[in-house]
Amino acid sequence: MISADNQYQNRRPPKETHPSAMHSQDERSAIEHSLVSIVDDDESVRESLPDLIREFGFAARAFSSAEEFLWSGCIDETSCLILDISMPGMSGPELHQELKRRGRVIPVIFITGQRDETIRARVLKQGAAELLLKPFSDSALLSAIKTALQAT
Amino acid sequence: MNETKNDNILESSIPTAPLESMLWMEELQHRTSRAPYYEKENLLGLASALADLPNTISQTRVDRTRDITQCDSITAGRLLSLAVTVTSEQHIESVLRKTVEGLASQPGVALARIWLLASVHIPNAWQEDAHSQEEIEHLRLVASAGNPIKSPGEDWSSLQGKFSRFPLTMGKVGQVAAERHPIFIKDFAPQDSWVVRPEWAEREEIRSFAGYPLIFHGKLLGVMGLFSRRPLDEQEFTWLGLFANHAAVAIANARAFEEVAERQKAEAEARELANALEAKIRRLVEANVVGIAMFTLDGAITGANDAFLQMVQYSREDLDSGRVRWKDLTCAEWRDRDERAVAELNATGVFQPFEKEYSRKDGSRVPVLLGGALFEGSGNEGVAFILDLREQKRAERALRRSEAFLAEGQRLGQIGSYSWRVATGEITWSEQLYRIYELAIGVPVTLDLIRTRVHPDDLTLYEKMVEQVSSGGNEFEWQYRLMMPDHSIKYLHAVARATWDVDGQLEYIAAIQDVTGQRLAAEARDKARSELAHVARVMSLGTLAASIAHEINQPLSGIVTNASTCQRMLAATPPNVDGALETARRTIRDANRASEVITRLRALFSRKETATETVDLNEATREVIALSLSGLQRKAVFVRAELADNLPPITGDRIQLQQVVLNLLRNAADAMSTISDRPRHLVITTDRDGEDRVRLSVKDVGIGFEPQAAGRLFEGFYTTKNDGMGIGLSISRSIIEGHHGRMWAARNDGPGATFSFSIPCRREVGLSSNEISPAAWMLSEREAA
Repeated sequence: MISADNQYQNRRPPKETHPSAMHSQDERSAIEHSLVSIVDDDESVRESLPDLIREFGFAARAFSSAEEFLWSGCIDETSCLILDISMPGMSGPELHQELKRRGRVIPVIFITGQRDETIRARVLKQGAAELLLKPFSDSALLSAIKTALQAT
Repeated sequence: MNETKNDNILESSIPTAPLESMLWMEELQHRTSRAPYYEKENLLGLASALADLPNTISQTRVDRTRDITQCDSITAGRLLSLAVTVTSEQHIESVLRKTVEGLASQPGVALARIWLLASVHIPNAWQEDAHSQEEIEHLRLVASAGNPIKSPGEDWSSLQGKFSRFPLTMGKVGQVAAERHPIFIKDFAPQDSWVVRPEWAEREEIRSFAGYPLIFHGKLLGVMGLFSRRPLDEQEFTWLGLFANHAAVAIANARAFEEVAERQKAEAEARELANALEAKIRRLVEANVVGIAMFTLDGAITGANDAFLQMVQYSREDLDSGRVRWKDLTCAEWRDRDERAVAELNATGVFQPFEKEYSRKDGSRVPVLLGGALFEGSGNEGVAFILDLREQKRAERALRRSEAFLAEGQRLGQIGSYSWRVATGEITWSEQLYRIYELAIGVPVTLDLIRTRVHPDDLTLYEKMVEQVSSGGNEFEWQYRLMMPDHSIKYLHAVARATWDVDGQLEYIAAIQDVTGQRLAAEARDKARSELAHVARVMSLGTLAASIAHEINQPLSGIVTNASTCQRMLAATPPNVDGALETARRTIRDANRASEVITRLRALFSRKETATETVDLNEATREVIALSLSGLQRKAVFVRAELADNLPPITGDRIQLQQVVLNLLRNAADAMSTISDRPRHLVITTDRDGEDRVRLSVKDVGIGFEPQAAGRLFEGFYTTKNDGMGIGLSISRSIIEGHHGRMWAARNDGPGATFSFSIPCRREVGLSSNEISPAAWMLSEREAA
């Protein structure tokens, strides 16, 4: 597994040719500084999602568990958190609660493979920006990230 | 040769006899008609009067005795003293011994002997009849005493040797006996022709011989003989003659005394024997084991014990009053039989035991067996022994009933039985066994006949069975098949046990059950179980839908993300080809992963007949864990797998076994769903269970189960969950048992429970639902070691 630090430092600069036409120059500037952190115990997600997010033009880091994220020292830099709901140990919602308890207000996009509509209502009520059901399209993800970043 | 014959010793001797001797002799002459022991008593009384009275008679005797002892010849006093001693003896041996010893101690006497008349019976060679015998009288040496002076080492008291027996006429002694007259040879030379052992006479310096017949009541008892080194004088010869008469009386007395004692002893023994016998008979009568009745031929009962009265229900008063008569007790139809018994009694004195019925006081009947005999010499009275047969009759009825029960039971249970005497080959079948084999009831059964019915595939097995039984052993159990003439197949289960009859001959008793119905039912049941397992699988499919979706969505999610990334990379200017290639590779890999998941799911949920294959339990378990991991994680369950290395493969149905493991994992996770005060740990373990079994355990830290619920956990439709049907564990156990394994649950030392199963790793036999392979029908011998 590639470490989160390496992924962060080796990230490629955002491409001008990205479908960034939908963003204004100011917006793009703000977005380009944003770090999107991903917490998921599934390796294929940690592998594929950061690349896509970088294609969007953001910085991206992946963590395999809630605990790893909490100890990473990246909490303050993170502008948006993509969080898997079911994980061994601390779950996504639990991490969300922990961050709120610490006073860190980071917009959270939950992702899950479960088709359970009650979860959606619950997490949105607790302040999540969005819930995406796996598999989700790149546009749905981008839209959710933008919504999340604007919410701050 | 100087020989004197004296016809009237007593008459000639009386005038010269001293006073006491005269008294003594008179007494002897007047007591001939009295009983012998009286004579002795009188004689003893006389002798003791002589000894004790301090009068002149006694004094005279004492003085005289002193005189005698001081002179050197045999005197009346000395002989009287000896006579008193001899008479006081009761036993014949003592009388004889003391007589010869006393004589031998007289002055000059070298040897004193007594021979008594004896007879031997010898077969008469001249008679045709072998039993005819001739009685030969002779003299037998019975007492001897002497004083050898020139014959060192010789024992003259010995009764053995050359002269222990004499014919009645041989030598001087024989002559005395034959002629019943004393012989006195005052002084002889050893060379005299009549001397039998001249060298002995010469060596021992024998000079004189005196022989006297011992006569009592005119009957010759024997001979008393004396050899002296000193020539005896006429006076001594006379005294010795008187003494000989007295000795004869003493011998006859002792004999009579012993006869009386012996008769008394015999009488006492006979009395004792009679008492013992009487006591035994009384015990027999009083024990009331059998009825005993005394009867007369005219129909009366003169006595009876309680057992008899109880049998016929009459009281002792009834009996004593004479109202109870055997002729009246006998039921009318048995009177003829009684007549025959009476005829038998009159003819032989006994009647052979026979069965009949008595009518009792209340009119009911009692079956009896009786036998009896007339008292010896009575001609009219006798005794009968009567046995109550009610119990025996009841037992006979019970036996007949139980035989009927057995036959019905065998028919109902499709069980036949047979016995086989191995040595003679004699085989006996029950009717039901004939029906099972579809043979005509009663046809003689032979091993060859049985063989014609055995299924061709099981003939080898059958030969092996016969061989096993013939070579001994105690208990056997087999299963084999028959093929009927219409080619239908029967499954038989046989159990045989060895017994030994009274002659010590080996005999097998066997029970054979037709289990065809059970076999077919078992196959149907296995099929139903397989269908039920399928239902359960489909149901778990429902409850696992979420985790299945997650399992598939995970790789799908990767595919979509990677494909999107790839698209964007290729659309960029310039296109990021390297990045696109990498994401395309990941897309393919994730697609393959999704495909694998689907394959596994299809296997798990597809309906299949039981398959028998070699299964690596570890691998099967890893697959189940992989499939259910996400579901378990969602429930915040930490799974730890501790799978043993080198676990031997097992034979069975992989999918069924995985179903069991999955079920155990799900149950464990469910049991921990409400646990929040401790990590939800789940440990799945595989290891060897002994030499030839493998075990799998799933341990949780959940709510566990109550001890009283342990027995019900595996029952169908028992559940502690709100949303379960309670058939998971039940089906799991059916599957494990189908694999000849076992399944159990145990409460942990800490919180939670551990569910385990254990199954044999190598089995010769197939699953129970499979076609019966010859191996599955292999005999199992339970012979006791």
